[in-house]
Amino acid sequence: MLEEEQVAFFLASRLITRGNKGTLLLTIMIIAMVFVNLIFLPSIIAGIVVLFNQQNIDYSYGNLVIEPREDQLLITRVGELQQKINRVPGVVASTPRYSGAATIVSKGKSTTPLLIAINPDDEKQVLKIHTGIASGDYLNDGDTGQILIGTTLAGNKDQTVDRTPTLGGVDVGKTVEVTFRNGVTRQYRIKGIIASGQFSVDSSAFITRKELDSVLGTTDTANQILVRTQTTGKEEAMRITLMQYGIQEKIWTWQDKSADFLKSIVGSFDIINVISTIVSLVIAVVVIFIVIFINTVYRRKQIGILQAIGIDRSIIIKSYIFQALFIFASGTLAGCALLFVLLQYLTASPLVFPGGPVAPVLEPMLLFRAIASLFIVSLIAGFLPSWLTTREDLLSAIRG
Amino acid sequence: MIIGSNLAKIYGKGSVEVRALDGVDISIRKGEFVGITGASGSGKSTLLHLLGLLDRPTSGSLIIDGVEVASLNERQRTLFRLNRLGYVFQDYALVPELTAEENIYLPSKVRGMTVKECTRACRDILGLVGLKDRVSFLPGEMSGGEQQRVAIARALINNPAILLADEPCANLDTRNSTVILELIRKLNKELDQTVVMVSHEEWHQKYFDRVVVMQDGKIVSGGE
Ligand SMILES: Nc1ncnc2c1ncn2[C@@H]1O[C@H](COP(=O)(O)OP(=O)(O)OP(=O)(O)O)[C@@H](O)[C@H]1O
Ligand SMILES: [Mg+2]
Repeated sequence: MLEEEQVAFFLASRLITRGNKGTLLLTIMIIAMVFVNLIFLPSIIAGIVVLFNQQNIDYSYGNLVIEPREDQLLITRVGELQQKINRVPGVVASTPRYSGAATIVSKGKSTTPLLIAINPDDEKQVLKIHTGIASGDYLNDGDTGQILIGTTLAGNKDQTVDRTPTLGGVDVGKTVEVTFRNGVTRQYRIKGIIASGQFSVDSSAFITRKELDSVLGTTDTANQILVRTQTTGKEEAMRITLMQYGIQEKIWTWQDKSADFLKSIVGSFDIINVISTIVSLVIAVVVIFIVIFINTVYRRKQIGILQAIGIDRSIIIKSYIFQALFIFASGTLAGCALLFVLLQYLTASPLVFPGGPVAPVLEPMLLFRAIASLFIVSLIAGFLPSWLTTREDLLSAIRG
Repeated sequence: MIIGSNLAKIYGKGSVEVRALDGVDISIRKGEFVGITGASGSGKSTLLHLLGLLDRPTSGSLIIDGVEVASLNERQRTLFRLNRLGYVFQDYALVPELTAEENIYLPSKVRGMTVKECTRACRDILGLVGLKDRVSFLPGEMSGGEQQRVAIARALINNPAILLADEPCANLDTRNSTVILELIRKLNKELDQTVVMVSHEEWHQKYFDRVVVMQDGKIVSGGE
């Protein structure tokens, strides 16, 4: 049996090395392009999803979000709870927040964004908002009378540029007037402007919890505690661990919190992905098929003669499968090289999305799927035309 | 030994049927050099196709070396062609991507010889047809006469019971035709190779042991 494969391989290798190089090269190039197409867009999309997820963790939720118990509006005895949380193995840090709407006025411009009261030092250990200071400085734990404004909220002098209500281009050092829910109004000096790339952050304002306590007369309360864990991806297990350590507050994972928003984005990308994959595959099928089909039809007479001199059709079919596999292998290799160059280029000059540069994510599964589908397509493209041709009447094939 | 009895090949059906072969009886002994002649359309190629197992008769029986070929399935027929028959086509029909040697190598390798045996046999047979110095030439680099000699070598590599040739000199000039005819004659005499060759050239007939004349799908003389 191995004899047959040997002969088929011999025939295939000669047909490839002494056949038309131009056609061969073109076919290989096309397969390479299809391969890149099968990998590239999905890896970018995967990169975007990773970026979105990371943004959510780094700027909005941390890994876990702790909220008040079932029938309560606030988390009380925050300090005690925070100590308890921080002692749980796997927890890096936690940060309590008290957020609510407040009206901010600057030079007659008034808007009501989310005002978040934070412990700046805790925040730094859980989130990365402090790295997004565009001008001025981040808050310190003891700060009073100071406020951080998100860049979207700060707005532009040219109001036509702003798509949401803004403060009309306020800047560091200026004073804004904040009216709280309880009716208290205070003046704050803008300490810094935040440009994190995350809309929910950039459209909010931040003061210290100390400041808010003095306004509301509260102590040790919060409506959220964000938790950073050592590993991302094990949130569900960490949630259970926290419960086992006696945390009775509600615990959400960042996925729970961002599910709807993220699912719809990932869902749309998935559709784009599927369509692009199908189109690429169809192109691959058609191209490999046409090339090999034309090749076999062109050699119809020769195939007939080979059969006439006693070469079994299975050998002929195998030799065409070998040729197709060669095209597949070289195409895939060339595709890998192309992809590598492309990825190098993208590392050097990354695609920048709101929220940061997108690094393409090459999942092994994706690579495997692309290679496997091209392999199967090649196999069929090698098999079918030669199978059809060798099935024909010998004499009419020989006559050409 | 070839015995064909009452062989018929009918194309089409009903009123437009063509009797390409119409009750042909033919027997050929081992070592004979038989020439088949006749007018165009008389059925020479059709008969050779049957003898070469490239086609099946509509009716009649064909026994080659004691095997009733009608009893063979498609795979066995292919094997039979590989092992027992050598076929030479009018237009040489070499694989253009293979060198002279590789063209011959193919059927011998398929038959199961080792690479070493194959190479040896290929060189020997190329020597026999006078192409020792064309071993690694591609068909496109050889003259028609040379290509036909490679084709003859390819047909002979597996020591066939019969060498079948359908107008092997039709595309060649007189000088090259003579070379081919002399070669086949030599193979016939020296190797005791049975040969059946179709030709409608009058002057070829002096090479044949026996001339079979065909007309309208029937053998009119020389069938024995
Ligand atoms: N596939 C076919 N379908 C229908 N008729 C056919 C077919 N092949 C051959 N014939 C007919 O059979 C007859 C014999 O043809 P064949 O090719 O055997 O003639 P030939 O003696 O070899 O002629 P030539 O000297 O021109 O080669 C012809 O009348 C031809 O038209
Ligand atoms: Mg003919």
